[in-house]
Amino acid sequence: MSNTGEQLATSDGSQSPIVGAGSGLAPASSSDTGPVLVARDVVVSYGGVHAVDKVSISVARGEIVGIIGPNGAGKSSFLGALGGQVKRSGGEISLQGRDIGSLLPHQRARLGLARTFQTTSEFAKMTVFENLVTSGEGDSGASLKAVVLHPRQTAQREREMTNRAWGILQRFEMEHTVNLYGRELSGGQRRLVEIMRCLMRHPAVLLLDEPMVGVAPHLTGKLIEDLRAIRRDGLGIVIVEHALEVVRQLCDRVVVMAFGKVIAQGSFEEVVQDASVQAAYLS
Amino acid sequence: MSVWVFYISTLVIYFGVDLLAGIALNLQFGYAGVVNFGFIVFQAAGAYVAAVVVLGPSGGVASFQQYILGSRLPFPLDLVAAAVAGAVVSLVIGLFSLRRMRRDYQAAVLLIVSLIAIQVVSADVPLFNGSNGLTGVAWPLGQILGVTATGAPLIYAAWTLVIAAIVFVAVYWLSKSPWGRSLRAMRDHEDAASAMGLNITALRLQVFVLGGAIAGLSGGLLVEYIGAWSPGAWGYAETFVIFTAIFVGGVGNYRGVIIGVLLVPVIFLELPRFLPAVGYPGLIDSLQWVTIGLAWMLCLLFRPRGILPEKRMKVTKPGGASVSASAPAEGGA
Repeated sequence: MSNTGEQLATSDGSQSPIVGAGSGLAPASSSDTGPVLVARDVVVSYGGVHAVDKVSISVARGEIVGIIGPNGAGKSSFLGALGGQVKRSGGEISLQGRDIGSLLPHQRARLGLARTFQTTSEFAKMTVFENLVTSGEGDSGASLKAVVLHPRQTAQREREMTNRAWGILQRFEMEHTVNLYGRELSGGQRRLVEIMRCLMRHPAVLLLDEPMVGVAPHLTGKLIEDLRAIRRDGLGIVIVEHALEVVRQLCDRVVVMAFGKVIAQGSFEEVVQDASVQAAYLS
Repeated sequence: MSVWVFYISTLVIYFGVDLLAGIALNLQFGYAGVVNFGFIVFQAAGAYVAAVVVLGPSGGVASFQQYILGSRLPFPLDLVAAAVAGAVVSLVIGLFSLRRMRRDYQAAVLLIVSLIAIQVVSADVPLFNGSNGLTGVAWPLGQILGVTATGAPLIYAAWTLVIAAIVFVAVYWLSKSPWGRSLRAMRDHEDAASAMGLNITALRLQVFVLGGAIAGLSGGLLVEYIGAWSPGAWGYAETFVIFTAIFVGGVGNYRGVIIGVLLVPVIFLELPRFLPAVGYPGLIDSLQWVTIGLAWMLCLLFRPRGILPEKRMKVTKPGGASVSASAPAEGGA
């Protein structure tokens, strides 16, 4: 376990060295075994206050990294910086070896980054089916140019997305909700729709911001199983979560944040024993 | 020609023009969630440009009306120019007003743009003859057919309906396409749509420009019928007439837009215009606006999704197995 975040553990047990603050990114491997997402020294500032202060993580394919910490630790801001929704003030982010730090959210998404939000983000006045298909087509396939100039390719793509959507609905046992509006779903169903929507895009990395919020306790286990199944597809998953039991069951590695900094990382059992972590939660 | 033919034809023409406006605003607001409180500016831009490209070269300050871009474009370039004017003005305004900011701020910016535009056009006489406006606008297609718009209102009404029908079908098709679905996703949750790969800025600008072009076209059609256009015709309140039509008919439902346009701008506003005056001068005008305000409020109170709400796009599983659309049991996954 590292208390300072100076080294990043990867799923294969190797150590990915972190260069000092402000240094350039080491060329990340885009091979199947290298880290799929690397963030180095990421800083997010709100009016001079560092909500995220030089935070670094590395995520390998098939790995689930949990980010925990007390309220105001900067977890969601960090996730926002990874997804591009929050402007970072410093640091570097690479996805599959490509620098994405300066890209807009939709550009990051097109490169394989998918995310859910702290509050559910289903498209409320669209059916579950439309939620999924829209996500699958969420790039050039849905452009005005493609629709007008290439109607055959658009129709072909629509058929592919339709098939993929039914496959994912079946996998998550959500076929019965296909014609329901997003606003008509229960909290747990909304979370599942968000995750299914992400999977429509075949992402390389999935960022989940408190996915268990609003989910009925008896459904938490199912969602954990679903996330484990997704992980077997080779996705790297970063999950911000307050429910420590969920983190214990789900995450290969846990990063603990407090006051915008990484104060500890390692396995769940290691970090909960850490004195600085206990102090942060008690303070 | 009977006065009734003129009366009915005029109502039909206003219906066609307002239907075009309703289609454009429904695409922008109902589908894409863009609260375009400056909508009337784009209709006005189309009307002014259609007028000046028909009027011929301006006579300058010596003339009773002066304007820019004076020319005599043949049919159908007059209407093409009107649509292009609406598109160009919306592109220019959209580039600074549609940046990433809250929708209510965008709406405020567009309303202010509308207020500024009318002041500029009123004050800058060389532009479009100031507050006196332009008059004597002919109908280029009518010249080819050997008729005038007011002399053959039935023909003009049919012409207006044909254009409205073509635009209706085209916009309906686009709205049901993956592009239209992307607009609805953007409307429902911008951040989530963006996180799914949708370029929000581009989508918003596309729908703004397309709507602006249709608004410009509607302005061109209107000015070639009534033959005149001035700042008095495009006050910011006109935008809210079209908004009311959409709310009453059903936001996001094009059939609802037809009903809303028929009820609000045509029956509430235009129909009484030809009836005998009642009460003191201006009473009917005032009552019209009161009625429109009431219609909007009553609609929001008792039928917030309008007469015909947005239609649910149901699908059936390949192979024919039925899927339910009933509400789920709370907590069920």
